[in-house]
Amino acid sequence: MALIKVKTREEQKVKIVPVEEEDYKALTKKRYHFSWKSFKGHANVAVYKLQIPGEDDILGVMALIDFPRESRIEISLLACSLENVGENKTYEGIAGNLIAYAGRLAVKRYGKNACLSLVPKTRLKKHYIDKYGMLDAGWQLFLEGKVLNDIILKYLL
Amino acid sequence: MNTKKISVKYTSEELADAYVHPSILSPAQKKEAGNQLKAARAKVQAEITAEDKLTSDILQLRFRLEDYLSNGAFNPKLKFSYFLKAYVQLLNKKRKVFAREINIDETELSQLINDHRSPSENIIIRLELHSNKAIPAIAWYKLIEKEKEHYIITNKTIRKREEKNVSNRLAVAID
Repeated sequence: MALIKVKTREEQKVKIVPVEEEDYKALTKKRYHFSWKSFKGHANVAVYKLQIPGEDDILGVMALIDFPRESRIEISLLACSLENVGENKTYEGIAGNLIAYAGRLAVKRYGKNACLSLVPKTRLKKHYIDKYGMLDAGWQLFLEGKVLNDIILKYLL
Repeated sequence: MNTKKISVKYTSEELADAYVHPSILSPAQKKEAGNQLKAARAKVQAEITAEDKLTSDILQLRFRLEDYLSNGAFNPKLKFSYFLKAYVQLLNKKRKVFAREINIDETELSQLINDHRSPSENIIIRLELHSNKAIPAIAWYKLIEKEKEHYIITNKTIRKREEKNVSNRLAVAID
């Protein structure tokens, strides 16, 4: 699991782990675009953070909802930290690693029946399809079967 | 920064590269979205190849193994034998065939699967090669090591048995 430092093209290893109670103080709307605190204590939402091992700074965060009866995990929200958005970003690959990690969780739980989905903004749909190989299901986009395996293999192994 | 502001500041591509913030659907749209996804998934599952199914199964086994190894606690159910059995099962092959593929006797394979013997280095290397490195030898090795560690830490019988072989113990007590 690694990011690319945009300036030097160096690879930077990262880890993705569950968000802890004290992390919510750092997850401000200004830097991570959403009110992540609203997920605090939500039993049906799992929130994960991406960090460089040994560092406290959170580079990316995502909220997942599990639908066991459908063998499916939904990416409810995902955000990179402010300095990793746009053309002047420090690292590339944060969202890709987080999406692939969500896929890993789905495959670990549901094997060949696993599905990872999201409900995109209409104008961003094409980019998710082009960048992550997502499949179009109308209102939703999803990864399942080969495309799900592919994103895991690309980012995580 | 609210959604409207970032939509102005960044291109769609940059937004998709940094955020997933969902569209808010009405109850009717949610229902439609559910039906659409169900139909699209059924189509994918109908067309999924045996190779892709096997890849998913292998990944699932690998992730379960990795997560078990990174979690400190020993689970007596999740030993080398358990994961080897799972590996052989997902290949959908008879044990006799698999034993031949890694050049061991079928009896030896049964003993490994039934936890009646420990694997040699050769076996775990062969398992890595057989899985085309999908499950590396080091993962199999760490499983055996985890079992051994548990055995060393908890086994009282061996401590009792070995007492007779130790004399002139240190007088200081640190534990």
